[in-house]
Amino acid sequence: MTIEKKSRRKFLKDGLWGTCLTCLAVVAGAFAFKKRDDEKVWQLDPNKCVACGNCATYCVLEESAVKCVHAYAMCGYCDLCTGFFEPEPRELDTGAENQLCPTGAIKRSFIEDPYYEYTIDEPLCIGCGKCVEGCVAFGNGSLFLQVRHDRCLNCNECSIAAACPSQAFKRVSADEPYLIKKAGHT
Amino acid sequence: MVKLSGITKSEVLVGLLVAVSVGIGVVALVLFDTTGGKGSGLDKDFIYDIGDKVKIDPNLIFYTESSVPIVTGFKKSHAIAIDANGTIYAAGDKAVRLFESSGNSLGEIQLDSNPRCITVSKDGNIYIGMKNHVLVYDANKKHLASWPHLNSDAVLTSIAVLKNDIFVADAGNRIVLRYDTNGKLLSRIGGKDNDRNIPGFVIPSPYFDLAIADDGLLRVVNPGRHRIEAYTFDGDLEFWWGIYSPNIEGFCGCCNPVNFVILEDGSFVTAEKGLVRVKVYDIDGNFTAVVAGPEQLVKSHEAEICQIPANCQAGGFDLAVDNKQQILILDTIKNVIRTFAKTR
Repeated sequence: MTIEKKSRRKFLKDGLWGTCLTCLAVVAGAFAFKKRDDEKVWQLDPNKCVACGNCATYCVLEESAVKCVHAYAMCGYCDLCTGFFEPEPRELDTGAENQLCPTGAIKRSFIEDPYYEYTIDEPLCIGCGKCVEGCVAFGNGSLFLQVRHDRCLNCNECSIAAACPSQAFKRVSADEPYLIKKAGHT
Repeated sequence: MVKLSGITKSEVLVGLLVAVSVGIGVVALVLFDTTGGKGSGLDKDFIYDIGDKVKIDPNLIFYTESSVPIVTGFKKSHAIAIDANGTIYAAGDKAVRLFESSGNSLGEIQLDSNPRCITVSKDGNIYIGMKNHVLVYDANKKHLASWPHLNSDAVLTSIAVLKNDIFVADAGNRIVLRYDTNGKLLSRIGGKDNDRNIPGFVIPSPYFDLAIADDGLLRVVNPGRHRIEAYTFDGDLEFWWGIYSPNIEGFCGCCNPVNFVILEDGSFVTAEKGLVRVKVYDIDGNFTAVVAGPEQLVKSHEAEICQIPANCQAGGFDLAVDNKQQILILDTIKNVIRTFAKTR
């Protein structure tokens, strides 16, 4: 086995190339990272949202990009869920006349006595926030509205943001596009 | 090109087009609401409305505010208690503050974390429920004991004392704990037990109150079932009362009442969140009167319950009763103590 001897000139040339490539990679990486960091999307702060209903009608999309989401960690799994039932339900069952949601977008399923799980049927949800109001007024506020980024066009001038009475809309990083509520006892 | 008084036809057409465009623009500005000021335009079926429940028949309100509210100075207050001498104890931001009934400060006890509940025994000892343990101070605010910490799920929300028994409500573990005065855990009360016919507590949010009645039974709120249950000190469930209803005679929402106190005659004063109402029930649980409703407690003369989620969630007002049978209400939104006296 023979070991090829490198000339000093070749060694310096290879070293220079290596250094240049490394620098290029670092610059490209930093640029890509910065660009990614700079990408912003619209989201609404659930702690400012007053569930006024404007999200349902001011979006440029025919079906709003805002939908109700559910923070299960906060939910009380109540039998009498005020986000699911009308304020004065005749019965605590899934009869349409007892349901708060006008489009029937919340599904109630039995877990164990007396607990029930509530899930959002997204295609049916129009983002009116009626359930959010019911949940926030009496419950833990585990139902809340969010801009769904699989639907949102990320307009420069979001028409819902312009119509939001509580200034709940803001630009957030595309890396963390959702503002999820969390449970907490102090 | 035809000229009419020096103006070409094309110039007239352009002028007309501009005029029509301006007209359309003006109409659009007037008709289309880009600021949301005209509301969502949704049908009433899409609007959550319990405004009719906010208004309470004035004939049912038997109490009026009898003094100027006491400002606790807390940013976040949790509980109040009152001792046999009329000293008021308010628990809030890492402290317990003492007040005379006039509102004069009598000092404070500083704590390492936020207290959640408080009671004072007949001998003047102060029992403070922290998130997962109990602290004991004497009447001179001297620290006497720190009881062992419970598990990390524990959220202590109420504490009551009678002679050598101290009862602590743990909302996180959905159980009532019975201690002796040395902090020794004697028993657990109210856990689901089919053999003893005990359904268990349903506590969706961290409000879980208890008190000891003169009949020698422990009264515990089961908020998810909208009732107040009576237990012996040995943990037998004796009876309960309470119904769900957004109407005045019942307890509203998912989980109410959040707090209660017992008057000298055995009546119960209850506080609800959501529809913030303080009401009186007789010893058998029959509705008898309103102390104050949303219009008196949340925003005067406005039929609003709450506007932002933080306020909605803060509606768990605590209660105490003084030796004149006046009702003290800790307003956890404004962090003041309001006093209501019976006038009818």
